[in-house]
Amino acid sequence: MMDLGTVKERAGPREFSPADDLPREYREAATRMIEFHANSEIMGAYLERPFIRQSPSIDRKLAFSAKVQDEIGHGQLLYRAAESLGVKTREEMLDDLANGDGKFLNCFHYPLESWVEVPMISFFVDGAAMRRQATLRRTSWEPYAHAMDKVCFEEGFHVKHGEDILKELMTGSRKEQQMTQEAFEEWWPRIIQFFGPTDDKSTHHDFASSVGLKQQSNDDLRNAFLDQYIPKARKYGLEIPDEPRIRERDDGTYAVEEDDLDWDEFFTIAKNEYEPGLGQINGRKHAQEAVDWVRETIERDTPAASGHEPQAAD
Amino acid sequence: MIWEVFRQAKTGEYHTHCGNVHAPDREMAKQFAAIQHGRRKPTNSLWVVPREEIGEIGSDEVAFGGTTDKSYRWATAYNTTGTDAREVVESEDEQVTAEKQRGDD
Ligand SMILES: [Fe+2]
Ligand SMILES: [Fe+2]
Repeated sequence: MMDLGTVKERAGPREFSPADDLPREYREAATRMIEFHANSEIMGAYLERPFIRQSPSIDRKLAFSAKVQDEIGHGQLLYRAAESLGVKTREEMLDDLANGDGKFLNCFHYPLESWVEVPMISFFVDGAAMRRQATLRRTSWEPYAHAMDKVCFEEGFHVKHGEDILKELMTGSRKEQQMTQEAFEEWWPRIIQFFGPTDDKSTHHDFASSVGLKQQSNDDLRNAFLDQYIPKARKYGLEIPDEPRIRERDDGTYAVEEDDLDWDEFFTIAKNEYEPGLGQINGRKHAQEAVDWVRETIERDTPAASGHEPQAAD
Repeated sequence: MIWEVFRQAKTGEYHTHCGNVHAPDREMAKQFAAIQHGRRKPTNSLWVVPREEIGEIGSDEVAFGGTTDKSYRWATAYNTTGTDAREVVESEDEQVTAEKQRGDD
């Protein structure tokens, strides 16, 4: 088996594959990270799903249902990448997600109630996710990097569609603009917390980056996101809330005052102990149970003896 | 027995199909693949897969995606304002390339 020293020495982009005999520490850290990512894709999709029905136009409905379908696909890809580490099976990960042990992104623990909130997820959170995912194309676990290739290919559409929704709302009636601004104020701190706690408070950062799993620190990612998305928000007429305080550096880039963020809430969420978040977890669990019969029918029917016309997911 | 061969040029890249070899067993298939497909082109790893283990589904059996107009699924369908994040631009470029390749067929 490869020892940890060798792993750290070799830890470059896409360096390790299932052909390598990797130490437990590496495989566990990678599993934790990818499982979290996979769970987040699924929980994000469930959060957005009701807005397929609530889309204000047929164009939005088509695009939004394509997006939600993409996200479920990302989850599937990522469970494969996680499973290939040999620590947890796909079944175990899905069971953990259903019973409330599986961890996922803070933003997807909050309920999403109205259309004006949609771009907070599909523009800002997808934008933040994409920033992070782009760096993960260089992660050291090759199956993870390959999954990121496909995910990033698709994500550009999510972000631009999300931005288009924001643009539409912010060029709409005064009432719409005002409601969008309110939604933004509510979501802004959560969006910033997407990148997790500062590097010094992050429990897993050092190891994950020393073995090449993580390519950029929370702080760097957050700052890069702010540099890109604050100007975007302003361009559409959104006012950046006073809190958390954001410092503009001399070179025109931004840094956030970490102490202005609610880290108690963040860590309560991280433990799956935040009340509204439990609603999301159980909501998905119930949806799973409700369609159990479909999975069972499919499994009982396989292998299909006769000539069922196969249907590609288009 | 026929073994399909997949070649990976460098660590972390994809194994892509590059041909096949005739061999009595897996060991020999690996040896032949190494000689026939790993000798000249840059190679980091080869996979050999028994042909009968490969499942295939073709466009005569199923309607693959992308033949109907679903432009709403492309980043290019949305006109936004200001500079996009570079990863968004990259994704959009990849989509444009993929769409072009479809047209080439
Ligand atoms: Fe996704
Ligand atoms: Fe997305």
